[in-house]
Amino acid sequence: MIRELLRLHIHDEEDLFAFRQAGREAADAVGLDGPDRARVAAAISELGREAYAEHGPVEAVFWIRRVQRPALVVEVGFRREERPALAEAMAVAARLMDEVEEETRGDRVIVRVRKHLPEDAPVPGDARVRAVQERLARLVPASAQEELRRQNEELIEALEDLRRKHEELRELHAELEETNHGVVAMYNQLTQEMEETNQGVVALYAELDDKSEQLRRASESKNRFWANISHELRTPINSMIGLARLLLDTRADPLSAEQRHQIGLIAHSGQTILALVDELLDMAKAEEGRLSLRPVPVDVPALLEHLRSLLEPMAEQAGLRLVVEGATGPSDAPVTDEVMLTRILRNLLANGLKFTRRGEVRLAARTEDGHVVFTVADTGVGIAPEEQERVFEEFYQVPGSGGGGTGLGLPYARRLAEALGGGLTLHSALGEGTTVTVRIPLSPGGEPGPRRPPGAGRAGTADGTGQEGTP
Amino acid sequence: MERVPILKVGDVLLISIQTDLEDRTALALQEDLAEQIVRTGARGVVIDITAVEIVDSFIGRMFATIAAMSRLLDARTVVVGMRPAVAITLVELGLSLGGVHTALNLEKGMRLLAAPDPGGPPGTMSGR
Repeated sequence: MIRELLRLHIHDEEDLFAFRQAGREAADAVGLDGPDRARVAAAISELGREAYAEHGPVEAVFWIRRVQRPALVVEVGFRREERPALAEAMAVAARLMDEVEEETRGDRVIVRVRKHLPEDAPVPGDARVRAVQERLARLVPASAQEELRRQNEELIEALEDLRRKHEELRELHAELEETNHGVVAMYNQLTQEMEETNQGVVALYAELDDKSEQLRRASESKNRFWANISHELRTPINSMIGLARLLLDTRADPLSAEQRHQIGLIAHSGQTILALVDELLDMAKAEEGRLSLRPVPVDVPALLEHLRSLLEPMAEQAGLRLVVEGATGPSDAPVTDEVMLTRILRNLLANGLKFTRRGEVRLAARTEDGHVVFTVADTGVGIAPEEQERVFEEFYQVPGSGGGGTGLGLPYARRLAEALGGGLTLHSALGEGTTVTVRIPLSPGGEPGPRRPPGAGRAGTADGTGQEGTP
Repeated sequence: MERVPILKVGDVLLISIQTDLEDRTALALQEDLAEQIVRTGARGVVIDITAVEIVDSFIGRMFATIAAMSRLLDARTVVVGMRPAVAITLVELGLSLGGVHTALNLEKGMRLLAAPDPGGPPGTMSGR
């Protein structure tokens, strides 16, 4: 087993001196007698001196070996140089010590010398070794200095480390600054791009405004067109109808049965066209919001009765039952435009009769939440859900419904209901019939309901149109 | 740095080395001694190394140097009180203390210097 007794560094002559003294003390402490003590001291003095002089700072270690032949071991380590290590001192040491060896460890050279302890001396125990260690530690005043030097070195190293850290921080800072520049540049670019996009959006808005203005004008033109066409058409149709009537008059020249039949057809078609034109005209007026309301208290039972008598013939002709409920109905008399209300309901009833093959059409009225609610229910073909969305579009007709008409009936009815401050909704199931509900406020809101652009209405109904005959 | 005191006893300078010498102390001693020899006109130098336990080649050479230097300044040098271990070490180091007289103790050393100079360097130790 080998125990370290003392380790010291030789940086100057004082260290060298301390090393020499430590050598003598160590030899004494481990029990070497006079001549051996002097030999050890001389040998390590030679080694230390030459190592320091030739190779710079030296690390020296004293050991005690307690196995094999117990011995005092001294190592002198230093950086390897080109020149041969300590040739002279090792030659001298070889004469004074029992063993001398040299070892190369990486870039360091270690010269190790051993002096055997006297054969008759007891092998030093642990307590003894500790005592020697303490004695040597006390001995070397340079150890304080050594400590100071070590601390100095550590301090210098720490400072160096700090400087490096500082340097790193500065680099980091520089990088950050650069990144910041990048971010600012990116921000500027983004800002610019956003500004451009904004300009684009503004332009887009302007364009949209422009487009909607165009649309509005187009819509106005359409309404004007309808109105004009309707007016222009009405005159020739009226004369056509009048002429047909003259031809059919019994006082006119007699016609053949075939001719009478054909002229009858002409008169009938003329009536149909006239009805369509009137409807168009009304719709155009409603679109333009030009409907002027003349609200009066309406006698609802009387109104229902009137409608019944009006449409009874049509129902009979179609083989349907027309049921009117509430003829004795709501005592509240809504204040509204009677003509329009009549038109709405007649339209709906005509529609119901047109699209019902068998069964009945039922008209009912009740009061609810300050409104009079009319329902027109039929047992007709009904409207598929996807069609319900479209039947309020002008001129839309459910494909295959087979009814005649312009496709204006429902949109017109809804628009009138809105003009009266109320509303119109539709429920239907295919094959089970259709129920249309009209809500009219008991007292006028003072102004017509919100105008809706054509086609924006949702709901659906059997569409088709009621023919609206001129009263 | 410590300096080694140099005492004048009659026409002899006495140097008593009481501790192990640092190298520079040894060098300073050489200079001091040369000066003192010249200043006092001393004819002899006694170096008492009774207390010296460590002798290596440097110290050994210093003795030889002092002896040679003193001789040039017309003074003889005697080293006294050398320990047996030191003597053994010096021999084993292979050092020749040419021109250095030795005596076992101070008294004998002083007597040696009082005797007439036998002349010529004594061959005290074997050469290297």
